[in-house]
Amino acid sequence: MKLVTAIVKPFKLDEVKVAVKEVGVSGMTVSQVRGFGRTGGHIEIYRGKEYEFDFVDKIQIDIVCTDESVDVIVDAIVNAARTDIHGDGKVWVTDVSHVVRIRTDEHGPEAV
Amino acid sequence: MSIPGLAVFYAGLVRNKWIVNTMLMVFTGFSVTLVVWMLWGYNMAFGQLSHFGPTGSFWSGFIGHATPLATASSEQGQTVSGANTLIPFHFPTATFAYFQFTFAAITPLIFLGGLVGRLKFKAWLLIVPLWITVVYCVNAALIWNGGFLAQKGVVDYAGGFVIELSAGVAGFVGAAIVGPRRWQDRENAFPSNLMMTAVGAGILWLGWNGFNGGAVFYAGTNAASAILNTNVSSAVGLLTWVLMDMYFSRQKKATFLGATNGMLCGLVAVTAIAGFVNGIGAMVVGFVSSALVWCSWNYLSRIRPFSQVDDALGVIHTHGFAGLIGGLLIGLVSDPKMAVYGTTGPKFNGPGSFSVGGWFYTHSFHQLWEQFLAALWVAAFTAVGTAFVFYLVKFLVGGLRESDENLALGDIGIHDEEAFPDPTFGEPVGTPSHLHSDNV
Repeated sequence: MKLVTAIVKPFKLDEVKVAVKEVGVSGMTVSQVRGFGRTGGHIEIYRGKEYEFDFVDKIQIDIVCTDESVDVIVDAIVNAARTDIHGDGKVWVTDVSHVVRIRTDEHGPEAV
Repeated sequence: MSIPGLAVFYAGLVRNKWIVNTMLMVFTGFSVTLVVWMLWGYNMAFGQLSHFGPTGSFWSGFIGHATPLATASSEQGQTVSGANTLIPFHFPTATFAYFQFTFAAITPLIFLGGLVGRLKFKAWLLIVPLWITVVYCVNAALIWNGGFLAQKGVVDYAGGFVIELSAGVAGFVGAAIVGPRRWQDRENAFPSNLMMTAVGAGILWLGWNGFNGGAVFYAGTNAASAILNTNVSSAVGLLTWVLMDMYFSRQKKATFLGATNGMLCGLVAVTAIAGFVNGIGAMVVGFVSSALVWCSWNYLSRIRPFSQVDDALGVIHTHGFAGLIGGLLIGLVSDPKMAVYGTTGPKFNGPGSFSVGGWFYTHSFHQLWEQFLAALWVAAFTAVGTAFVFYLVKFLVGGLRESDENLALGDIGIHDEEAFPDPTFGEPVGTPSHLHSDNV
C-alpha cells in the first residue's frame, strides 16, 4: 500500500478532486498548509513597517491507495494541478505498512 | 452609518481577500465627500439657487452656486436654504451642512456595493468627488432645495429618490461600465464574516434613526413619529423577507443574509416617506418594499439586463428598487395629518400650509404622478451622469479596473495589507525576529 501526498495550489483543489474521483479514488484528506518553494513570497506593510511573508498558502492532499493504482492516481493529480507557473507544487509517494478501517476493523488492502 | 456601519457591512459580505480594499474605499469616499462638501458641494446642493433661466423654469432651479463654506458667517450664520420655506431654521449653517453631508457621503458609499472586487482604487478617489458634484448636487437641489421638482410638488422625506434610487442606478450603471469581477470571485462569492455584517446592519438601523428623525429639521411630534415609523417599517421588511425565504425560496430556509436584505428594504423604502405616513402606512411600506424587492432579487435578477451586469452586492435591488417603491408609495399611503407645517391658523394648518397626502386619503393621483415623473428624472439623469463620470475617470486614470494580477491577489496586491495577517508566517524585513536570541 502507498500514501500519495500532494501539495497543490489552493484553487486547483476542485480539479484535482474531480480527476482522482474519475480514476476511482473513494476518499482523500485535505489540509490547508503553508510553505515555500521557488515561488517568491510577498511583502506586507503595517503602520509603515515592512514584513516579509515567505510562506504561501497551499493545499496538502493525502490519499492512501493500493500498489497497483498508485501510478494512475499520481498522473491524475499531476495533470489536474499543472498550471506551468512556479509554485504548482509536488507529489510524492511513500510506503504504508499497515491500514485499518475503524468501522469494520478490516486490515490491509481491504481497508484502503 | 457610513463608518463603520457600511464599512463593516460590506466588508463582511465580500470575500476575505477584498476586506481591506472595501473598507478603505468606504473611509476614503466618506472623507473625499466632506472635502468636496465644504469647498463647493454644500452650496451647490443647498445654498442659494443659481438662476440660469426665467423664474420657475428648470434652468433657474437645478443647482446652487459653487462657493465654499469658508468664512465665520458662512459656518455660524443662521441656515438659509431652499429646504425651508415656511418656518426659519433656528440653527447655524454648520449644523445643516454636516447633517446633509452624512446623506451626501452615504450615497456613493452605497453604490460602491455594486463595484467592489475590481474597481481601481485610484479611480474611486476621482469618481466620488465628480459624482457628488455632477449627480448628487443636482438631484438634491432639484428635490430638497426648493428647486424645479420641489416647486412641482415632489417630496422626498429623507432620500428615497435623491439617495437610494440614485445610488441603486449609479451602482448598476457603474458596474456595467467597469465590467464584472473575476469569474472566480463571482462563483465563489463567500461572505467573509457574517458577524461583521450583523454589526454593520445594526449600526445602519441605529443610524437611520438620525437620518429620518433629523430630516424633518424640527424636534417635535413629526420627528418622533418618523423615527418610530422607520423602525416598524424595517422590522416588517425584515420579517417579510424571512417569511418569503421560508415559504417561497427554493431551499425553504430562513437566512440571516436574507433578513439583512429585508431590513435594508424596509429602511430604504421608508426613507422616502417616514414622516408622511402613520404607523399602518409604515408597515405597508416595509411589507410592499421587502416583498417586491424579494421578487426582483430572486427573479428579475435572472433576466436581461440584470443578468448581464455584475452588481456585486445587489444595490439596484435593495437600494434602487426599494427607494423607488418608497418614493412612489408617497403618492398612495401618505397621511395628510402627519406632517403639517404652516404659518397661519392655530395649528399651523391654515392657507399656504404644507402637508403630503396620498391617494388613500385624498382620492387624488396628483402626488403619485409627481413622484413618478421625479423617479423617471432621477433614474435617467443619474444613469447619464454616472456614465459621464465613469468614462471621464476611465480616460483620466487609464482604466477603471485593477490589473489582472491584483484582481487575483486582492488586498495584498493592491494595499500590501490583508485583513487577518498571521504573525506565524511573516517577519519584519531588515531585523528578522529569528536574529533576536530572546525571541521565543
